[in-house]
Amino acid sequence: MSARGATVARTIATLDIPPRPGCQWKPWCAVGLVAIITVITLSPQWGIDFSLEAIARNWQNGAEKILQLLVPDWSFFPRTVPALLETLQMAVIATAVAAVVSLPLSLATARLTNPNGYSRRLVRAVLNVIRSIPDLLYAAILVAMVGVGALPGIIALVLFNVGIIVKMVSESIEANDPGALEAGRAAGGNQVQINRASALPDIMPSFINQTLYVLELNVRASAVLGLVGAGGLGLLIDAVRTFYRYDQLSLIILEILIIVMALDLLSNAVRRRLV
Amino acid sequence: MRDVTVRYASGVVALKNVSLDIRPGEMVSVVGLSGSGKSSLIRTINGLVPITSGSLRVGGYHLESARGGELRRLRGEIGMIFQGFNLAKRTSVLNNVLVGRLAHTTTLRTLLLGAYRASDREIAFEALNRVGILSKVWDRASSLSGGQQQRVAIARALCQEPRLVLADEPVASLDPPTAHEVMDDLRRINQDLGITVITNLHLIDLARSYGTRIIGLRAGEVVFDGPVESASDAVFAKIYGRSVESADVLGL
Repeated sequence: MSARGATVARTIATLDIPPRPGCQWKPWCAVGLVAIITVITLSPQWGIDFSLEAIARNWQNGAEKILQLLVPDWSFFPRTVPALLETLQMAVIATAVAAVVSLPLSLATARLTNPNGYSRRLVRAVLNVIRSIPDLLYAAILVAMVGVGALPGIIALVLFNVGIIVKMVSESIEANDPGALEAGRAAGGNQVQINRASALPDIMPSFINQTLYVLELNVRASAVLGLVGAGGLGLLIDAVRTFYRYDQLSLIILEILIIVMALDLLSNAVRRRLV
Repeated sequence: MRDVTVRYASGVVALKNVSLDIRPGEMVSVVGLSGSGKSSLIRTINGLVPITSGSLRVGGYHLESARGGELRRLRGEIGMIFQGFNLAKRTSVLNNVLVGRLAHTTTLRTLLLGAYRASDREIAFEALNRVGILSKVWDRASSLSGGQQQRVAIARALCQEPRLVLADEPVASLDPPTAHEVMDDLRRINQDLGITVITNLHLIDLARSYGTRIIGLRAGEVVFDGPVESASDAVFAKIYGRSVESADVLGL
């Protein structure tokens, strides 16, 4: 054993190993950074003001609400149906519109499918702006612009979805094998033709995947958007919440849960056929 | 091709003052070690690699000045076959072969699914028939074996109705028997259809048995150019810069 160890040691000593390229200190820097951020956020001068004490102080209040939530008011169901349908409609319409808009934009933001640096950076910059604004903020602004109802909700969801789909799909394009695109170029196709004939078949699974994921997000998001007046279940949630009807609220939460689970089953089934 | 030099943005000089004349109907094997400039040479011919200086005339086109639509028309007349087959794997064999019709199809037609002209489909079926895999026309490209995929790629090139076919290491990813079948296909294209074929190869026996002319590249320069009969082992030793080894032949 020791003899072999010695051999290994000797071999390594004689091997001409090139010096490892810099930055062994990088992980330590990361740890240090996390430590500094932790200290700052916890410090009384700069940190946010919160204390777990509030939970202990108000526990009775919380327990009461949880008890109410545990007993859904089933008789409330008929009143939730129209809002539920509106939420589903908003989610489906927004997903469809977003999918149609996202596909060409995804191709335009990936280097492989859009070699033109200027147009690519321009589209990317616009999409970064779109993605940086949260959906609830879109809804709040749009309600002020086009009025209360499903329309501002749908537009908010579309903007929110385009940001997600384009980001994910264009990343999957970059990860694809560029060979088929090279073949299209060698056959004399222009970029649009190459994208349609050679790139699209390869990105279709990832595109459908993201679209299904976004549909699921939309059902949940459209429930919240109603809080600012953008239609769907959220309007109802806002109403029952104002009257402290936690039993009715729990029924709505249950409905959302069931729909999200159903969508999950559906998208899993579709995905299995895809790959 | 006159005094063609290719220098990449990285500063690497891939071709140094290369001058060649290739006549219609020739079957040329380009040999050399990896990094000798074979791929660059073949890719300058259809403009996938831009030339830095010199002049290159292919058919009636001047490569050094061709841009945009002119370059696409030129590429439309040149078929290309790759080492990695370069198929769109998730779509049908037919759709892959029809990529060869892109230069003859309007963008609008391409955008609409399956709107290729009936005559284009006819050409695609004939091309697949010529390489013997018409029965796979509706299969997904990814479900085929390597040899079958390379034949689809040859059919794609034939579908362009090209005057010239470029093949970049077409059999390097295939097992020896399949390699011979694919090389036979290429020879048949050359002999039956009169299409000029330029093939990059690194295996000596393949270059000898399938080419009529051999061009040897070493470090971006042409070190041999002559009929296959005059390419002796000594010539190959000069091209490779070392004596010929058993690893330089495919065998079989």
